[in-house]
Amino acid sequence: MGISRDSRHKRSHTGAKRAQYRKKRKFELGRQAAGTKLGAKRIHEVRVRGGNKKYRAMRLEAGTYSWGSESISRATRIVSVVYNASNNELVRTNTLVKGAIVQIDATPFRQWYENRYAQVLGKKKRQAAEDEAKAAEGDKPRSKRALAKCLARKSTVESAVDDQFVSGRLYAIVTSRPGQSGRCDGYILEGKELDFYLRKIRSKK
Amino acid sequence: MIGFLCPAWSLVTKLADSEYTTDGDPDFESVSHLAISTERSFQKQDAVFLNAKSVSKKNARWHKDIGLGFKTPAEAISGTYIDKKCPFTGNVSIRGRILSGVVKSTKMKRTIIVRREYLHYITKYQRYEKRHKNIAAHLSPAFIGVEVGDIVTVGQCRPLSKTIRFNVIKHQKKQVKGSKRFQKF
Repeated sequence: MGISRDSRHKRSHTGAKRAQYRKKRKFELGRQAAGTKLGAKRIHEVRVRGGNKKYRAMRLEAGTYSWGSESISRATRIVSVVYNASNNELVRTNTLVKGAIVQIDATPFRQWYENRYAQVLGKKKRQAAEDEAKAAEGDKPRSKRALAKCLARKSTVESAVDDQFVSGRLYAIVTSRPGQSGRCDGYILEGKELDFYLRKIRSKK
Repeated sequence: MIGFLCPAWSLVTKLADSEYTTDGDPDFESVSHLAISTERSFQKQDAVFLNAKSVSKKNARWHKDIGLGFKTPAEAISGTYIDKKCPFTGNVSIRGRILSGVVKSTKMKRTIIVRREYLHYITKYQRYEKRHKNIAAHLSPAFIGVEVGDIVTVGQCRPLSKTIRFNVIKHQKKQVKGSKRFQKF
């Protein structure tokens, strides 16, 4: 490859140029970046130091995302990359890296929520569903006890997150390293973090 | 009884002595919501989960005791800065050598140069010569008002950058000669 991670080629703290006294060693090696894109899953296995494995994801389309305040995780499809603090190029090319803000499919989370709390997510849909809900409460037959449990659970979803359910796409941040573990997992943005990134995304447009 | 006429003092509001230079300062974001933060990613402590439904305390903050008898500054516990390389509120541990020296320069962002002087013995002449070494050390925002000439204690930590392997853990202001402060030695 030719990529090395040594510091022998760099100038020292005092500014002195260091003379080369040995060749590149294997333990100093670096490999090409993965540059994981969105698409049908393609993962390359790499043998690394010590005989261990790294899973270099070249293309991914889904990952496990957590909804922090509700403490659940679901596997979802990743729709697109929306923001990257380091490089706009990575947004344009839809490259998945740790710390990238992505849009994920909201359906597994909506299904879980509506199962648990028997409330509809998304304001616009709620208004339309209000008329339907009164009539069709028996869309999923629940026993009296299960229904009582459902109604006893109170839950408030932040309005910014609630709005995202209307479009069916949630903003999330990637917290795994796809080029190392082969997975693109993360968590759904909420609260101040969500405000921060929404502002960043809007100012870009 | 002497009637003492107090002239009406006009209320002079002193301009708040806040720093108006943002300089990529992520703390500025927390001062006002309209503040323009120059950081491109959201600054937060990894150890704190901000979105728990049951909010125990607004703006929860994580801090630690670095050990070895060093007191963690009040600013680290009550402040609002985010610094992952801070020994008190970030993800670095202090282990190995503890050194001290004089602050030589504070021009870098969150890091300082510490000058350590020592005497080197020349055996032939049975005399000493002065030598010095400069150490680059990370300066946490917990330490405010660090100036050139102050005495600083630095502790060894893992490499934080090309030249930084130390982190400031204690700070003592320079004693101005003739000041009435009692210097405990």
